[in-house]
Amino acid sequence: MTGPVEERLRTERLTKRYGTPPRERVVVADVDLSIPAGELWVFSGPSGSGKTTLFGLLSGMITPTSGEIYLAGRSITHLRDHHRALVRRHLVSMVFQEHALVTGMTLEENVFLPLVPQGGPTEEHRGRVATLLERFSLASLADTKIDRLSAGERQRVAIIRALVMDAPLILLDEPTACLDTENVRTMLETLLVLRDEGRTILITTHDQRLTEHPAVDRVERLVDGALVEGARTVRTRS
Amino acid sequence: MRRHLALLSFALGRGWRRPSTFVITLALTLVVFSLASTLFLTEALRREAQAAVAALPDLTIQHLVAGRPSLIPVRNLRDITAIPGVLSVRPRVWGYYFIPNLSGNLTVVGADTTIEGVRSDLALVIGRGRLPLPGASGEIILGEGLAAFLGLEVGDDVGFPVGRSTKILSVVGVFHSEVAMWTADVILMSVPDARQLLNVPEGHATDLAVQLSTPDEATVAARKIEALMPGSRIVDRHLLSRTYDLTFDHRGGVMGAMLLSALMAFLIIAWDRLTGVGPGERREIGVLKAIGWQTRDVLTARLWENALMAGHGALAGLLMAYLYVFRAQAPGLYDVLVGWSSIYPKLQLAPQFDAGQVLVVLGLVVVPFVAISIVPAWRAATCDPHDLLRGGT
Repeated sequence: MTGPVEERLRTERLTKRYGTPPRERVVVADVDLSIPAGELWVFSGPSGSGKTTLFGLLSGMITPTSGEIYLAGRSITHLRDHHRALVRRHLVSMVFQEHALVTGMTLEENVFLPLVPQGGPTEEHRGRVATLLERFSLASLADTKIDRLSAGERQRVAIIRALVMDAPLILLDEPTACLDTENVRTMLETLLVLRDEGRTILITTHDQRLTEHPAVDRVERLVDGALVEGARTVRTRS
Repeated sequence: MRRHLALLSFALGRGWRRPSTFVITLALTLVVFSLASTLFLTEALRREAQAAVAALPDLTIQHLVAGRPSLIPVRNLRDITAIPGVLSVRPRVWGYYFIPNLSGNLTVVGADTTIEGVRSDLALVIGRGRLPLPGASGEIILGEGLAAFLGLEVGDDVGFPVGRSTKILSVVGVFHSEVAMWTADVILMSVPDARQLLNVPEGHATDLAVQLSTPDEATVAARKIEALMPGSRIVDRHLLSRTYDLTFDHRGGVMGAMLLSALMAFLIIAWDRLTGVGPGERREIGVLKAIGWQTRDVLTARLWENALMAGHGALAGLLMAYLYVFRAQAPGLYDVLVGWSSIYPKLQLAPQFDAGQVLVVLGLVVVPFVAISIVPAWRAATCDPHDLLRGGT
């Protein structure tokens, strides 16, 4: 007998429009999602289809024009700025398409940056980061300035920074754009472990290595801001 | 507490890597240095003057001829002593002795230094050698500042031209005093030697020093003395003290006003610079907010960063001002504040540390700087992180 599956994230007619009529542009249109805990979903779609904006909405960085977002059963749609920041600190970790790292700081300083307002990293955080740095072959670059790292290395730093917070929802926007096959494999292995521990992982990508990966629970396609019903792929875990 | 320490550590690491930090810290250092130098010097001179005034008699009676101080005939001493409140009256023989080679005056004081009252009046302590023997002629003691300046030591002989002859005096001691000003130009000798050197005839003195039992009643005593000795000028120690205060307040105030303009200019430049948070800094704030920093976290880190910058600048400025005033003796500024009646050889300013002055400087420079620097950070930190990351407003 299996118990009821915990719903981690739900959206109801989530919409984001920019501009005003007649120049209004709908970037995300009436998106309904219901994503359980412990699943890995991939969102694919052409450039400009609204994937990044959808992730901005889900992380509380962008305020929706209409619709609702529920995280672990609680609406985060109308939260004030400081509460949305707390959502990003404790509930949602995100890997940004352009990495969003602070130049002039070292790799390690960047990774620990989300922990500063909480008093800095604990021993547990340090241990977790050391493991991740080792796994992503970045341990020897811990004290290197971000500016001196390659695009692929920065991509991996951004992933590690998102994983250090131990958030129940992890959003990765085009995380494999600069990664070679070996590092994509490492990333997926790491994410699958986290998924199996109960975290919900959402990825936007064009990368077939991800969309066609058998371990991905569901692939959704986004076109012109709307989910395409007929393009959905749902896989059942054995 | 841990949060603040972590934010402080972040600010320390981040602030010093910004290219603008060095320039702003340097500008702050210079502003604080200028302001603190003026404050330190004004206060040091004021204290010096106050110390000198404190050692003066309560009343000094001068004789005026043609409106100028002249030698005073030593008479009426008993009548003055009989005035209620007057403790003692002492004729003093002293004056200025011009030395052409130095292009400056020395202050020659004739005094019987074996009398305790005289020693305390002069607030002197013998440093090396001894005091002149009672009634001994040809012995002098010098202030340590003057001795150092002239390169004289105990046992040396000095020749002073008097008319067509030269009077030889032996240095028997070097003194220091609470009043640094006096050690810079004072020579003490017996009264007969001083009379000879300064050409003061017997029966006359430079002035009369009056000690009162209650200095608060100096005005009343002065009026009675004036009635007894028409045409004399009575100098009240308290009035002199107030005059010194006003003089240094005025000069310090003029300098302060000039420097405040510089301070205002600096703050305007700082405002201009800091109001325009650059795209790099805006993006950085966007990153911080995107990874869970609240607006108050961003502002606290920024506050620490600017406070550290201002603190470093202020500390460096204060230290430089202290060394400039008390080690280098404030070249340039000294002449501006002391004015034309400068002491020669130069007065050695005694080091002083006044927490009040430091607070004034911090209040004038550091607090406004930190306050204004928060405004642009607050404006950026309240923007949408998504817009900040994308370079929008």
